[in-house]
Amino acid sequence: MDIPVTLAHGLSLAAIYGLMAIGISLMWSSIGMINMAHGASFAVAGYAAWAVSEAAKPVFLAAFGKGIAGTAAMAGLTLSTGAAAGAAMGALIYLLAFLPIHDKPNFPVRSLIVTLALNLATVQVLLWWFGPRQKNLPKIFGTGKVEVFGISARYDQIGTILSTFAILGLVLLWLRVSRKGLEIRAMMQNPEGAVLSGISVRWTALPVTMLTGALAGLAAILLSQTIFVSPTSGAMPLIKGLTIALLGGLGSVPGAVLGAVIIGFLEAVIGAIPFLGQRYVLFGTFLFIIVVLIIRPRGLGGLLDEARK
Amino acid sequence: MVDVLEIEGLTAGYGPLRVLHDISFRVGMGERVGLVGLNGHGKTTLFRAISALVGWQSGSIRLLGREIGGTRSSGPGRRTPGIVRAGMAMAPQGDAIFPGLSVAQHLDCGAYTPTAWRERRRRREMVFDIFPPLRKLEHALVGRLSGGERRMVSVGRALMVDARLYLIDEPSLGLAPKISASVIEALFSLPQDGRAIVIAEQNVALLSGRVDRMVGMHAGRLRGDVGHVSLH
Amino acid sequence: MSGRRFYQIGQRPAELMLPVRGDAPLNRRRLPFTRRHLLKWRSRLNPKTLRQERYLADKKPLWWTIALVLLAISAPFLSNSALTVVSVFCIFTAINLLWTLIIGTAGIFSLATLAVVGIGAYASAALNVYLGLPWPLMFVAGGVAGLIVGGFLALPSTRLDGLYYALLTMGFAEICRVFVQQLKPLTPMNGSINNVGSFISRDWFLQRPGLLLGFAGAFVLMLLALLVFRIVNSERLGMLLQTAREDEAFAEAVGIDYRRARLNVFLISSAGLGVIGAFYAQFYGSISPAVFSLDQLMLLFAMIVIGGLGRAEGAAIGTAIVVLIDKGLLDLGPLRILLVAAIMLAVTLLTNNGLAGARDQFRAWRSRKQSEARARRTEKGGEVMPEEAIEIGDKQAIYYRRFQKRLRDRLKALITPELIEEHRQRPLGQHSDALSRVLNHFRRGEVADKYAILRQAGQFHSYKIVAFSGVRGAPPRLVDDRVYTDINEAYHAVFLLRVNDLMES
Repeated sequence: MDIPVTLAHGLSLAAIYGLMAIGISLMWSSIGMINMAHGASFAVAGYAAWAVSEAAKPVFLAAFGKGIAGTAAMAGLTLSTGAAAGAAMGALIYLLAFLPIHDKPNFPVRSLIVTLALNLATVQVLLWWFGPRQKNLPKIFGTGKVEVFGISARYDQIGTILSTFAILGLVLLWLRVSRKGLEIRAMMQNPEGAVLSGISVRWTALPVTMLTGALAGLAAILLSQTIFVSPTSGAMPLIKGLTIALLGGLGSVPGAVLGAVIIGFLEAVIGAIPFLGQRYVLFGTFLFIIVVLIIRPRGLGGLLDEARK
Repeated sequence: MVDVLEIEGLTAGYGPLRVLHDISFRVGMGERVGLVGLNGHGKTTLFRAISALVGWQSGSIRLLGREIGGTRSSGPGRRTPGIVRAGMAMAPQGDAIFPGLSVAQHLDCGAYTPTAWRERRRRREMVFDIFPPLRKLEHALVGRLSGGERRMVSVGRALMVDARLYLIDEPSLGLAPKISASVIEALFSLPQDGRAIVIAEQNVALLSGRVDRMVGMHAGRLRGDVGHVSLH
Repeated sequence: MSGRRFYQIGQRPAELMLPVRGDAPLNRRRLPFTRRHLLKWRSRLNPKTLRQERYLADKKPLWWTIALVLLAISAPFLSNSALTVVSVFCIFTAINLLWTLIIGTAGIFSLATLAVVGIGAYASAALNVYLGLPWPLMFVAGGVAGLIVGGFLALPSTRLDGLYYALLTMGFAEICRVFVQQLKPLTPMNGSINNVGSFISRDWFLQRPGLLLGFAGAFVLMLLALLVFRIVNSERLGMLLQTAREDEAFAEAVGIDYRRARLNVFLISSAGLGVIGAFYAQFYGSISPAVFSLDQLMLLFAMIVIGGLGRAEGAAIGTAIVVLIDKGLLDLGPLRILLVAAIMLAVTLLTNNGLAGARDQFRAWRSRKQSEARARRTEKGGEVMPEEAIEIGDKQAIYYRRFQKRLRDRLKALITPELIEEHRQRPLGQHSDALSRVLNHFRRGEVADKYAILRQAGQFHSYKIVAFSGVRGAPPRLVDDRVYTDINEAYHAVFLLRVNDLMES
C-alpha cells in the first residue's frame, strides 16, 4: 500500500464528500428539510457543464489556444456553469418541495418524499434526453503530477482539495458574517421571532437551497475529473453525502466535515488494502457508520446549540 | 394627519373559538396608549391580529393608511414580515428570542431597514443607553440570560428600527417590580417624534399618569373611558 | 323575513338504513366458535316512522370483499400479459401490506423490506437448489431466514430514530446486493440462482395453466398478508401501539411496553416478508440481485406513499396505481417512471397522508372552515345558528336565548347620558319609565356576580362595592378598593357597573 498516494486520494475524496454532506446538513439545520434530490442536482450540473463546454470548446480554442490560458478559461466556464445549474436546481427544489408545504403538517417526511420524487423524475428525464451513455468533462486542472512534501499527487487532486477548502471556507464565513447568514440562523432558532423581525421565511429559504445546490454542482464538476457524467452519477454521492451527514450528526456542519475526512480516508485505505480491494469499499464504510451510530446515535457532532432536533 | 393605526370591525380567533368581537380602535401619530385588562381577555390576540399571527381574522386594519388586515383564515405569519416592514415593531409576550445568538446579533436582527442596518452600531449604543445592564452582556448568548435581561433584549430589538408603531406586550410579566419599573421607564423615555406606542399591561399602576390614553379590554371587547369606574 | 339568509342545516352524510325483519333483535352472524361478529351492524330507532332500522357502521370489509371477489373472478378472462401484471400486483400488495405494518403500526421507518424479501428468497432458493429442500418447505425456510434478519435489523431500531434508521436500512440493502454478487458459487450466473423448484411445474411455466396457478398462489399470498395485517393491527399489538403512536411518554406511564410490541410487530412482518421472498423465488423460478436494487425499492416506496402510510387500503390503492403504470404502459419507456414520480409529487403536496386519507382530510378541512365561519357569524349569547341548534337538546333554551338577546338590545337602546344623570340625581325614588325598566332588569339578575354595597364594619359613612359569589358559604369579593362616603354615590356606582356589564354583553 502506497501511503502518500492513498493519503492524497483520501483527502480529495473527503473534499468532495464534504461538499455534499455540508450542503445536506446546512439545509436540514436551517429549514428542516432533507434533500434527497441532491443527487439530481449533482447529475444536472454535470450535464449542464458538459453541454456548455461542448458548445464553447471551438470558441475558446480559437480565443485562448491550448495552453494554460485555455485550460483556465475552460475551467472557469465549467465550474461556474456547474454552480449555476446546481443553484437553478436548488431553486426548483425550493419551489416544489419547500414553498407549498413548509407550514403544513408533517413537513419533514413530506419534503423527503417530494425530493425523492423529484430525484426519480430528474434521473428519468436525463436518461430519456441524453441517453444512458456517459459523457466526458474537460479537465479543469490539467493532467500531470507534482511533488509536494514528498507526496506525489495529481493536479486535479490538489486542485480539488484546495478549491474545496476555499469554497467551504467562504461559505462558512459568509454564514457567520453576513446579514443573510444571520437571518438564516435566526430563522432556524425561532420562526416567530424571525417573522416579527421582518425576516421572511420564504426569502431566507431560497438562498439556502440555491447555495446547497451550487455546492452540489461544484462537487459534481470536481468529481467528474475521476468519473464520468451520467444520469445515475448522482446516486452514489447522494448516499455518501447523506450517510456522512448522519455520521457527523445531522445539522452539525463541523461534524459533517469531520465525517467526510474520516470516510474519505477510510475509503482510500480500504481500496488500497490488497485482499479487500474496491469491492469492499462500500461494505466497509457502511459497517463503520453503522457501528458509530449504534455507539453514538446522534453522530459525531454531538449536540451543538445550532443543531435542530 | 393620518392615524398610525385604524382598526374597524376586527373579529379574530383560533379555530372555532372567537376571541375578539368587532373591535374598533384608533391610534394617532406619536400617541401613547395603554391597553389594560386581565389575562385571557384578548390583549395579546389583538396584537397578534394586527401582525397577522392569529388563526383567522376578518375586519379592516389600516397601518399608516395602508390596509394590512382583511379576511384571512390560514397561514399565520405569512404576511407578518411585510407588515413589520411597513412600520410596525412588536415585542411579543414570551420574548421570541433566538437562543443561540448573542445580544448584539439579536439587536442586529431588529434592524431590518437598510438605514437601520447601516447605522446599527450607533443604534446598538442607543439601546445600551436605554438598557444599561445589556452593555456588558453584549456578546452573551441570549438563551442563557435571565427573564428581565431577555425582556430588555426583546424590547431593545423592537427599538432598533424607526418604526411608527410599537406594540409592547406585557413588559412587566414575570419580572421583579424594580426591573419592570426600569423597563417601563425606558420605554417612556423614548422621544415622542411620531412614534406611537401601545403597551398591553395587566398592572395598571405602572402605566397610570404616563400614557395619553388608557383603553380597557374585557372578554374580547374594548371598554373605553366612558363610565369606567375604577380607572383613574 | 325575506331578507334573511338561510344556512344549510346539518352535516350528517347520507347513510343507507335497512329495515329489521321481524321482532328478532339484530341478527348478526358470527365467526364459528367465536363471539366475534363478521360485520358491524348497528341499530337505531327512527323517530319519524317509529321503527327499528339497522345500518353498517364500518363498510370497509364490504369494499375489500367486493374488490377481491372481482379480482378473483376476472382473472381467468385476462390475457397472458395482463395476468402477469395482476399476479405482480398481488405480490407487491402483500409486500406493501407487511411494510405498512412496519411503518404505520410499529412506526419504524425501515427501508429494508426488499432486502428481507431478497434474503428470504435467496436462502430458500439456495436450500432448494443446493441441498434439495422440497418446495413446500421453502416457505418455512424463507420465514425463518426473514425472522433472523428481522431480529438483526431490529437491534438498531431502538437506538436510532427515524431518518437515521431509514438510511441505515437503505445501506443494508446495498450491502446485500454487493455481497450476493461476490459469492463464489453464484458468480458464473451474475449472482442469481436459477431452476428453483416451485409449486408451478416446469412444463407449465410460461403457459397459461402455469400463469393461472401463479396468479392463484399470489392471490392466496395476498389474502394471507391481509389476514396477518388484520390480526396484528386490530388486535392486541396494534392497540398497544396506537397509544404509543400518539404519546409515547403517556404509554410508558400507563405501563404499555411499546418497545417490545414494536419489536414483535417487526419480527412478525420480517418473517412474513421472508415467506413472500420464498414465494417470489418460486413464482419466477429464479432469483437475481436486482431484487436488492434501489430502483425497485423506490418504486415500492412510491406505492405506499401514493396510497398513504399506515393504512391497508393505502397499500392496495398505491400498488394498483403504480403497477398499472409501470407494467401496463411499457411503451412509454422511462417516461412512465416520470409519471409515477409526478403522481407521487402531487399526492404528497396536496394530501396529508396519501390517497386513502384524502376523504378524511377533506372532511376535516370542511368542518374547520364551517366552524370558523360560524364563529365569525355568531354573536355571544345571540341568535342560535341552525348548525348549533341541532346539537342543543332542550329546544326551549333557544327561545330563551332569543328573548334575552332582544330584551338586552331594547334596554341598550334606552340607556342615554340623560338616564344616567337621572339616576345620579335620584338613585332611589320615582323614576321615569325607561329608568324603571332598566332597574327592574338589573334587580332581576341572578345572584352570582350581582353587585351589592358593603358597609365597612365599625365605621360610619364608608361603603365598598362587592359582588356576590352565588355559592353558599363563599364570601362576596371586593370589586375595587374605592371607599364611598355617600350612600347615594355607592348606589350610582353600582348602577354604572351594571350598565357597563349590560353594554358589553
